[in-house]
Formats: sequence, C-alpha cells, structure tokens
Amino acid sequence: MSTITLEDTERRKAWGFVAPALLWTIAFFVLPFLFMAAMSLWSRESGQIVRAWNLDNYIAFFAKDSLFKGLMNSLEITLIVTVLSVLLAYPLAWIIAERVPKRFQRLALIMAVLPFWTSYVVRSYSWLLVLSKNGVINQTLMTLGVVAEPLEIASNRTATVIGFVHFFVMLLTLTIYANLIQLSPNYRRAAADLGANGLQTFWHVILPLTLPGIMTGAFLTFVLCIGDYVTPQILGGNNELVLPQIVMLQLGRRADFPMAAALSIILMLAVTAAYVLCARWLKIERA
Amino acid sequence: MRDMMTRIASYAYAGLIYGFIFLPVAVLVLFSFQDGRLPVPPFNGFSLQWYEAVFADRKLMAALGNSFIVAIVSSLIACLLGFLAAYALARYKLPGSALQRGLLIAPMTVSYLIIALGLLTVLNTFGIRLSLWTVGIGHVVINLPLCFAIIYSSMGDHHINIERAARDLSASDIKVMVLVTAPMLMPSILAAFFLSVTFSWDEFIIAFLLSRFDVTLPVEIWSLLRSGLNPKTNAIGSLVFLVSVAVLAVLELTLFGRTKKS
Amino acid sequence: MITSVNGAFARRFFSSVAAVSLAAVSTVTAPAPAFATEELNALVWCDHTDPALVEPFEKANDVKVNLKDYEGTGAALSILEQSQPGDWDVLVIDGVDVQRAVGLDLLAEIPADKLPTADIFPEVRMEANNMKDGKTYAVTEKFGYNTISFDKTKVDPADMKDLSVIWSDKYKGRIALYDYYLPMIGLVALGLGKKTAELSDADMPAITEKLSEMKKVSKQVSDVVSSQTALATGEVDILVGGGEWITAALSGEKPNLDWTVPDQGAVRWAQSIGVMKASKKQDLALKFVQYIVSPEGQARLATSSCYWAMPANMKAGEHLTDAQKAALRWNDQAEYLKKTQLYPIPSAELDQKMQDAWTDMMQQ
Repeated sequence: MSTITLEDTERRKAWGFVAPALLWTIAFFVLPFLFMAAMSLWSRESGQIVRAWNLDNYIAFFAKDSLFKGLMNSLEITLIVTVLSVLLAYPLAWIIAERVPKRFQRLALIMAVLPFWTSYVVRSYSWLLVLSKNGVINQTLMTLGVVAEPLEIASNRTATVIGFVHFFVMLLTLTIYANLIQLSPNYRRAAADLGANGLQTFWHVILPLTLPGIMTGAFLTFVLCIGDYVTPQILGGNNELVLPQIVMLQLGRRADFPMAAALSIILMLAVTAAYVLCARWLKIERA
Repeated sequence: MRDMMTRIASYAYAGLIYGFIFLPVAVLVLFSFQDGRLPVPPFNGFSLQWYEAVFADRKLMAALGNSFIVAIVSSLIACLLGFLAAYALARYKLPGSALQRGLLIAPMTVSYLIIALGLLTVLNTFGIRLSLWTVGIGHVVINLPLCFAIIYSSMGDHHINIERAARDLSASDIKVMVLVTAPMLMPSILAAFFLSVTFSWDEFIIAFLLSRFDVTLPVEIWSLLRSGLNPKTNAIGSLVFLVSVAVLAVLELTLFGRTKKS
Repeated sequence: MITSVNGAFARRFFSSVAAVSLAAVSTVTAPAPAFATEELNALVWCDHTDPALVEPFEKANDVKVNLKDYEGTGAALSILEQSQPGDWDVLVIDGVDVQRAVGLDLLAEIPADKLPTADIFPEVRMEANNMKDGKTYAVTEKFGYNTISFDKTKVDPADMKDLSVIWSDKYKGRIALYDYYLPMIGLVALGLGKKTAELSDADMPAITEKLSEMKKVSKQVSDVVSSQTALATGEVDILVGGGEWITAALSGEKPNLDWTVPDQGAVRWAQSIGVMKASKKQDLALKFVQYIVSPEGQARLATSSCYWAMPANMKAGEHLTDAQKAALRWNDQAEYLKKTQLYPIPSAELDQKMQDAWTDMMQQ
C-alpha cells in the first residue's frame, strides 16, 4: 500500500512541476488558436463581426485570385529561399568543420552568425540601401564596368529572396555545422577502406548522416520564412503580396479579424504540410 | 596539388559567403556616420550627429529600456517553466508524457504572426488591455518551447545517479532540483536564457500587434522607418549591433569559455 | 456551457497572472519616474508623436500624453474596436471619415465657441465633414495633397502637368505608386475626368483598367520609407501620390525633388481632430484639441518630424520662418485649393471593392 501512496505523491509532485508550463501553453497558445479557428468561420459585415458559422472566408480565399495568389507567392518564395539557403550554407558549414583549424572553429562560427545581432527590422532596411539603384552593389559593379545599367535587384522578389537568404544562411550554417561535427571520422575512414572516393563518401555516407540536421534547419527556415511580414514588406516593393502581408492588410485596412484568422489557418496548414514532409527527421532527444 | 586547389576554393567560397553575410552590416554602420540626411552613397564625410540624435530621442531610449525589461522578464519565466517541465518529464513517468512534450514544443512550429493574432483575439474578447505585459506573455509563448527543448535534451540519464545520491543523503526534492540538478544543467539553462533574450529582443510582429503606448525597440524602429529615410535608423541599428557583439564577446570569454574548459 | 467554464477559468487564470505581474511590476519598474498626475490617451497620425509638439502641452498641464499612431481609418477603427470604452480621449482622423466616426457615435460634440473657426482657412473648414445637424464634432488641423512628386532633373516637368502621365509609357519603370488605395483611386478618377465625390460602382471598371495600366508602367508600390528611398536614391523618378509631405523634409538635401498639381487637379487630404465621446477626461481632451489648433501648436504640427504639411490655422504663419513657409508653399495654397478635390468617401461596399481592386493590382 505504501508504495502506491509514495507513487501518488511523486506523481502529484511531477504534475506540479509540469503544470505551469502546460497551463501557460494551453492558456496562451492552444486556447487562442482554437479561438482563432472559430473566428475564421465568422464573418464581418458592415463593420461588425457576425457570429454566423459558415465557410465564406475560405470560399473567398479560393474564389479571389489576389488572395489565393498570396499563398502561391508565399510558397514559391519560401521554397526558393529554403533551397538556396541550404545550398549556400552547407559548403560553409563543411568548410568550417573540416578545413578551419579546430581552435578557430568556434570563432569562425560566431563570425558567420554575428549579423544576427543587428536588429531584425534594421537588417531588411539595410538591404534596401545596399540593393537600390544608387546602392553599394550597383555603384561598385558599374564602377568596375561589370554592368552598364544598374541591376534591377531592389523592390522586387529578388530583393525579398536576398534578404531572406541572408538570414537563413546564418541559421543553417549553425544547424548543419552542429550536425557535421558529431560525425565520427571513422565513417569516412571506413568508406575509404571500402574504396569509396571523396564524392562517393560524401554522397553515400556524409550526406545521409547529416540529413537530419539539414531537414531540421530547412523546416525551421520554412516556418520562419513563410510567416514573415517584415522582409517582404520592406524589400518586396509590393510588386506581389505574400500571405502574411495580406493578413496584415485585413487587420490594418478593414479590421476584418475573421478573414485574417482564416488566412492564418491556411498559412498554418501550409506549415503543417511541410512538417509532415519533414517529420521523420525532426526529433528532440535526450543526450 | 589537387588538395591545394580545393583548399583555395574552400577559402574563396568561405570569403564570398562571409562577404555576403557582412555586407548589409558594413553598409549600415558606414552610413550611420553619414554627414547628411541620406544614408546612401555617396558618403559625404564622417559625423556623429545621428548618434547624438539617437541619444536625444526620448522615445527610442524608452523603447530600448522596454525591450530590455521584456526580454529579461519573459526569458526568466520561459526558462523557469521550461526547466520545471523538463525536470518533471525527464525524471518522472507521467501518463501521456509524449503528448505533453508535443504540446510544449508545438508553438515552435507555428508562425509568430499566428500566435500574435490568436492572442490578440483572446485578449480582446476578455477585454484585457494591450501593454508590455501582453507582449511579454507572447514572448514567453515563443520562448518556452525553445527553453524546454534545450534543457530537456541536455537532461541525460547519467545525472540521475547524482540526484539519487543526493536524495539518499535525505535532501528534499526541491533542494535536489535547486542545488544539484540546476547547477549541473547550468550551461544549457544559460544557453536557453540567452537565446530567449535574443529572440525576444529582436521579435517584431508579436510586439507590434500586442503593444499599445509603450513599445519595444523593433516596433519603435518600424515607426521611425515609416516616417522616412533617416540615418538615425542606421545609428540605432549599429548601436544595437555593437553593444550586442560586445556582450556576446564578454559572455564568450567569461561564462561559456569557462564552462568549456571545465 | 463549455465556453463559460472556459471563460471563468481563463479569467481566473488571467487575474492570477495579473496579480503576479503587478507584484513584478512594482519591483521591476520601481524607479519609474513619478511623471505626471494625469494621463491622456490619443489615437493619432504619426506627425503627432513628435516630442517637440507634445512636450509643451505636457509641461503646461502636468499631464502625460500617451500617443498611438496608425495609418488609415480602417486601422483606427480596428484599434478602437479592440479597446474598452473610455480607453481613448482624443482621435485624429481623416477629414472625410469624420462622419463615419460620428455615425459610430465615437466623437463628442465640441462647443463652437471653443474653436478658432474664424482663423481656419475657409476652404478647409469642411463643415459638411466636421459637423452634423449643426453640431461640431471635429476640427481640421492639417492638410496637403496626394499628387505627383518627381525629380526635375530627370523628367520633363511639363509632362507632370498632365495626370495621364501616370499610366503612359513614357516613364515606364521609373514610377513608384504610393500604397494607399483611397487617394490613388481618387487620382485615377481625376485623370479620367471624374469627380472624387461622385464615384460609384459604375466607375470601377474604368478605374480598375487604369490601375492595371499604372501597375504595368510602375516599378513599385510602396509605403512612405520605400517611396522616399526610391525617389531619393534615383530608383524611381516619379512618385504618384506624393506631395509636399514626402519631399519637404528632403528639400535641403535633394533640391532636385519637386511636386506639382496637374491640370486635371489632384487629391487633397485633410486630418481632423476631435474628442472621444466615451472619454472620462472631456475637459483635458478638449484642452489638447485646443492646443493643437492654436497658432503655436499648428506651427509645430506643420513642421513635425514625421511629415510636413500645411496647418489649417492661418495664424500659424506668424510662428513659422520664411524658409519653412517656402517649403510648405504657403503662398501657392489658394491656387492648389482651387484645383484639388477631397478623398473619395465610398460606402462600405464600394470601399471593399476599391480595396479589392487595389490588392488585385498589386498581385497582378
């Protein structure tokens, strides 16, 4: 009998420890989310929120080109950014892990993520200055005679993608590096013993082993990129709108919370789809 | 010879990427010293007037203070809740612990915009006024999963024996947690804390949607931007960058440098 | 049932959080300055957030003025909807939207003898907007134009005399469009020979077509900072929807930037200020309104840090320097006022259509 009481007190204690975090998450995350999901089924008519349950907002999303295209723009930009960032960050992470002497590795890594500590809003703004017609890049290229006319790299999708890739190269370098240094050199030696050349070793051994790191980073990139408002708003020149910009338009221009909620749910579904695709590589495990 | 080639190629590539990473920061800092109203080429000459303008700006300074308070308080709460939850889930067998873990890290997979919008609708419904506190609540929501995951993943089973030994010496659970577990996990707790501070410090959309009169720095910079082109934006951006780097360097040399050696 | 239980639970949870928070506040913000005895909450446009404007009032009345700025009436109504009655004391709102606010019963009546109506430029008194049934609910404080700003060294200023330049091929790829649908649709309407006050559903197809042509020849659609950056850095040479409010602040550095009102006219904006009906500080709020429309307040507002524009009170001129007056084009106002029309005032349905047309244009 006494063991049961002991277990009971233990269990009660354990619940006591975990409860604050759970309650916080439920009160400020789950509850709001359910609220928003419910609201997405309401509508806004002549300045009032009407609690009539219907799918009008979702129907409008598929019926109105400008809204649906927002999702497409978001997906396209996010995919381009994710792929580019992985392709650019992987070699850098590899060079830091393999080529840079051990005692400088930490420094090299910190340097690679240092601009992360400029304020996020300011970072997009400085890209605006860098990429503009009179900006540093165009001025340099024209002075060197590489191009005769300034490149059209500001206020369009190129600018948005550059702004995003800049941020995510830093992030991915970090996650991929963390993955690379955990690899035992034995794998490579074993592969070499079995007669694999450098490329084969990379393709058949290193890459599969670092895939979880890549996928974790890629998923993080996807989530942060598809939900971001600041970068496309500052750099995109409004030549096309992504979903978060459309959500903010609903809030800022017409206070249409139900529509904003519906669009957010759609955004959420896109992230969930990405999660399902990456799920088998995403785990947190105890050491 | 071939090795030489790959070596040169490697360093050239790394140089290019580092250049790309530092380009906007370099331009930002350079034009914060612009002698003139336009932070774009040509560079007219060196001036500190925009830094003076930043320090004279009451609203910017207030926002700086607000950001600091929100970041510290929300990170403390996130770390505390994350640590307690990680301790409970790693040390006790609780029913549905997989579900609980999933629930705790779920906010990590949701865009900040959605978290902000959800909180906004709930706060409105309950008639809770927006303030720095509501921003803080939002920041705990985004940082709690991070703190939990970092601390939880560092709670190895090898720590259990030490805790058990302490308990055998008839220390209470709370005592074990505070005097044994927490110090053992200090590196990851600190890592979680500083990462939280960084995220909170830099977060825009939640702070934008959930604040009213008192705003955090990114929101104040956003309204500064809206009023037009101004090297003051460069100056505050550079300032934040340089101070953060200094703090980072100090931490690296003292705190983390020491834990690495030990 | 479930929601009420949830609600009760949530409220209890919130109140306990609030209690903890309060305890924390008292420790964290202990050194907070015992600033002022009273507070005034004002929902305003960004030009009001300049300390140079507000501080004199705060000092004179020992009050702290809390300011929240917004863009576009929709955003203001959204914020008001999220607030409790009594949260706000003063509202700055687009002149053409005062009636909307009055219709929602948001604004309090202001006794006519409390306002310097005689000193306000007759053209911007806007009785039809600021009054209803003979009662005054708001007063015009500042006005300006959404027209064409340009770099006179790069374009032919004569071309800017004709509004159709905004959809012609001549400056293709060198035009930025200001991202606010109301004045922009107003400009298009003027270019089509329509009156902004008479726009209806029937005009939308023609307007939509011109918007699409504008988008094709433009480089970007942008908010204030991107527009200004684009114009100042030579990214674009023309800003449609710009005016003194975007070029005046840059006039020292970039004397080549200019603006004009085309022959077909342009859109005039005006901002009004009023006291919130639910405010518990009616007297103090009125005092603030009176300060803003006083000659001193008006001069500070006209040249405040976010954007410059003409003050509504003509006596403000006494407190402005000649250089400031020149930048504001004080002496050309009679001509501009004659040639310009107010923002369109669409019904809720038409407003929705206009927003959709604008979003469609950006997405195209």
